Amino acid sequence: MNAAPDNPVLLERLAAEYVLGTLRGPARQRLERWRADSPLLEGYCRFWEERLLPLLLQLQPLAPPAHVWSAIEQRLQLRPVMPRPQLPRQLAIAASVLLVAALATLALWRTLVPGRAAEVATISSPAGLLWQVEVFARAGTPQRLTVRAGVFASHPAGHDYELWALPKNGKPVSLGVLPDQQRATHLQLSSPQQQALAAAAQLAVSVEPTGGSPTGQPTGAVVFVVPLRTVS
Amino acid sequence: MPASFYAGDEMNQAAESDSESDARLAQLLARCAARDSAALQRLYELVAPLLFACLKRMLRRRSVAEEALQDVFVTVWQRAAQFDAERGRPMAWLMSIARYRAIDLLRRERLAPALMPDLPEPVAPGEEHGGDEATWLPGGALLERCLALLSPQQRDCLQLAFVAGNSHQDIAQLLGSPLGTVKSWIRRALQSLKTCLET
Repeated sequence: MNAAPDNPVLLERLAAEYVLGTLRGPARQRLERWRADSPLLEGYCRFWEERLLPLLLQLQPLAPPAHVWSAIEQRLQLRPVMPRPQLPRQLAIAASVLLVAALATLALWRTLVPGRAAEVATISSPAGLLWQVEVFARAGTPQRLTVRAGVFASHPAGHDYELWALPKNGKPVSLGVLPDQQRATHLQLSSPQQQALAAAAQLAVSVEPTGGSPTGQPTGAVVFVVPLRTVS
Repeated sequence: MPASFYAGDEMNQAAESDSESDARLAQLLARCAARDSAALQRLYELVAPLLFACLKRMLRRRSVAEEALQDVFVTVWQRAAQFDAERGRPMAWLMSIARYRAIDLLRRERLAPALMPDLPEPVAPGEEHGGDEATWLPGGALLERCLALLSPQQRDCLQLAFVAGNSHQDIAQLLGSPLGTVKSWIRRALQSLKTCLET
């Protein structure tokens, strides 16, 4: 039997016993499968999960040993991001010099390549690059925008990530929904987008309903704000 | 009660309301969905002590609780994109992942019934306390009122199941009552609780 039964009274009782933890064995596994496909059952389960939560919030917190986090990092192959080891000062200076040299080389390379981007922004997590945004300009006016998604980029279920230009004085202007991993989008800029980008020093990413914000302004959590760097 | 529900966060412990905590956790989950591992680490710092307390209570053996906590955060990382802040509280979502993992592991571990969680007694109906007095369940004044309407056996059954991870059989053994009686106490307790919580 794959589909949840139609009987709401039965479903409601099973959901309560499932959340309480007294529904066990195959009956529990069956309910978990049904839950994934039945919004009604999902609602019943969430009712109890939320209402009984205070019983758990009164437990005395207990610090887990440090090796648990290390094991999680290892299992997920995360790069340890904190605590950062303190770099010796000279090494830090050397690294900065190298970074400046690398950026200068990149800028030089871009001036030599035709159709170069006027401005770029990168959106990264510690796991790696999520999106690279390039703005192409003609005679100082932004014309086109290319967004390339890295291997780690993906959209949250039932939602999309949306890119925004943040003009220094004015409201955010949408630059479209961000693509998933290793895809790219190309956008011919409208006049409001051109003006917003010309006046923007930053881009933002928000979580929106699938297809993008219904209001034309960010409605969900803003998860990234990154600088827009001029390349020349 | 406006206190933050997680421990170990010196900056925000004092004054953060539930909705602020929820917003912060929801934002961290959104960043986890965007594969930001720093957000997962921050989330771990904020909520792992409470999840670990819950897992330790249910699984009792420290090593099993530690293994379960790992599983929970691996799952959180994998499913972060499925969390929908509009449809629920992040802490309920996180706690459910932890409790359901513990229940799966309980099957494997075949543990003996867990003892009664030492919880404070609820205020009986009729001895109403003043509005300013602290409640015994953080953020749970309504749940507390509704639990107070149940019989002591019904309350014990719910806490033995929900907080300590006991099955019907475990509870029957602990309370020395027939299995059928325990099942019907629980069924009726859930029905009355639901009616009360919905009003």
